[in-house]
Amino acid sequence: MNELLKELYQEIILDHGKEPRNFGECETHNKSAHGHNPLCGDKVSLTLFVDGDDIIKDIKFSGEGCAISVASASLMTEKLKGKKLSYAENMFKDFTDLVKGSEDSLSTIDEDDSLYALKGVKDFPMRVKCATLAWHTFKNALKE
Amino acid sequence: MNKVKTIHKDIRNDFPILSKKILKTKDLVYFDTAASAQKPQVVIDELNQFYKSHYSNVSRGVHTLSVESTLRYEDARNKVQNFINAKSENEIIFTKSATESINLVAQTFYDKFMSAGDEIILSLMEHHSNLIPWYFLRDKYGVVIKFANITESGEIDVNHFESLITSKTKIAALTHLSNVYGSKIDEKVSSICKKNNVAILLDGCQSAAHLKIDVQKLECDFFVFSGHKTYGPSGIGILYGKENLLKEMPPYQGGGGMIGEVTTDKVSYAELPAKYEAGTPPIAEAHGLGIAIDYMNNIGIENIINHEEELTKYAYEKISELDFVKIYGDGDNRNSIISFNIENIHSHEVSSFLDVEGIAVRAGHHCCQPLMKHLGVNSTSRLSFGVYNTVEEVDIFINALIKCKEFFIK
Repeated sequence: MNELLKELYQEIILDHGKEPRNFGECETHNKSAHGHNPLCGDKVSLTLFVDGDDIIKDIKFSGEGCAISVASASLMTEKLKGKKLSYAENMFKDFTDLVKGSEDSLSTIDEDDSLYALKGVKDFPMRVKCATLAWHTFKNALKE
Repeated sequence: MNKVKTIHKDIRNDFPILSKKILKTKDLVYFDTAASAQKPQVVIDELNQFYKSHYSNVSRGVHTLSVESTLRYEDARNKVQNFINAKSENEIIFTKSATESINLVAQTFYDKFMSAGDEIILSLMEHHSNLIPWYFLRDKYGVVIKFANITESGEIDVNHFESLITSKTKIAALTHLSNVYGSKIDEKVSSICKKNNVAILLDGCQSAAHLKIDVQKLECDFFVFSGHKTYGPSGIGILYGKENLLKEMPPYQGGGGMIGEVTTDKVSYAELPAKYEAGTPPIAEAHGLGIAIDYMNNIGIENIINHEEELTKYAYEKISELDFVKIYGDGDNRNSIISFNIENIHSHEVSSFLDVEGIAVRAGHHCCQPLMKHLGVNSTSRLSFGVYNTVEEVDIFINALIKCKEFFIK
């Protein structure tokens, strides 16, 4: 099997793509956003509950899309739960750098990180939008 | 299958891009002609030669280069006229794209023939380019849009279409060949329109390079297609319109080239076709399109049709044997396009997987979101054929599909 495909579709990606974690809607939320990739029709809806100390207490997503976009959203919710917003925003930047192929100055994601599994996207430029859809939706939710 | 093989051997060498290796090792299998066709060497060479030896602006100067460019530009118009059997060269308008052609018709047809409350009929399987220009009219002027249903086999439901017509219906705009199903429109639709005094626009983007086009036999009032899907350059679209309609409708854009006389108070307009060609047109692109039409004529449209019919039939049968694949639409009335999904695998995964095997297919909603909703899917994969494709490529594709399923569904 082709190495690029193996890199793109690591076991963890296929697993999260099939059985996404934190799927649904937060019981109480104070931030939310819808994301849509008009080029392919992938959709994601995100709800968050952020407390007074700017900590993400709860985060859930729903929607439909390819394995990359669903797995990315699923992994993102796992990573962001319990994080402070300022730290989460750094992760946003690191993650988008990672999938575009620049991994030199990452401060919040290292090689042992589950998010690192999406690194293979860099060899499929047309799939970068799939991988970053949930993260851009997260960013939009914070603007509310 | 012998015939298919003979045709392709002569033809594949005409397309230099087909010798490209994908990821340095895989032979390119280009199954995305419905998105854009590849270009034969002769078109590439002629574009080069045009810029090197003949290029200037058209219809303006009297110097040699202007004459040489103008002759080639107008020659291309004649080639298009013959290609689709229009009555007059005045009925052929060059635009920048088929999309612009439809926008032109929507706006100027409305201006002349419609008012608030009048009705337009579209179908659920139209490309966004044949939806949004009409939505503009709905949003700006309050015209009413009705949608004809699609049958299970992927065709316009003719009875339903007819039932939508009222005394307020002014125009129907429909795809001649669906970019998702590959189905050709039922000829009855045109005669129903004619009987009811409803104008009809056919979107020929997917048919122009794959069927014999005769706008008179089709009984359409407008026919649009694009250069890049007919083995010509991008940046040029064609609008065919019946001369009497184009004469009555107002100009679309104002600018150089479309005027008769201009004073500080008023303007009169140029005769057809210049009336609709404001600004410097796609000059080299028109020439390139003319060469692409010559190229298709030299192969023979009938030969192209036969070749693609056999390929489509072969591919349809082969794919149908795979129980994990769902094909949209049925096998009859299918031309050069097959849309499908593999159960439980998103089209993006399929497309990325095939790409690594060297196979280019389209994945996504194909600019047909209302149709995707109708089908209850988020997206599909689509293979589409051109004159250069082969049965061997279909076999490579089938093997790759099987590998794809095994990769994702263990």
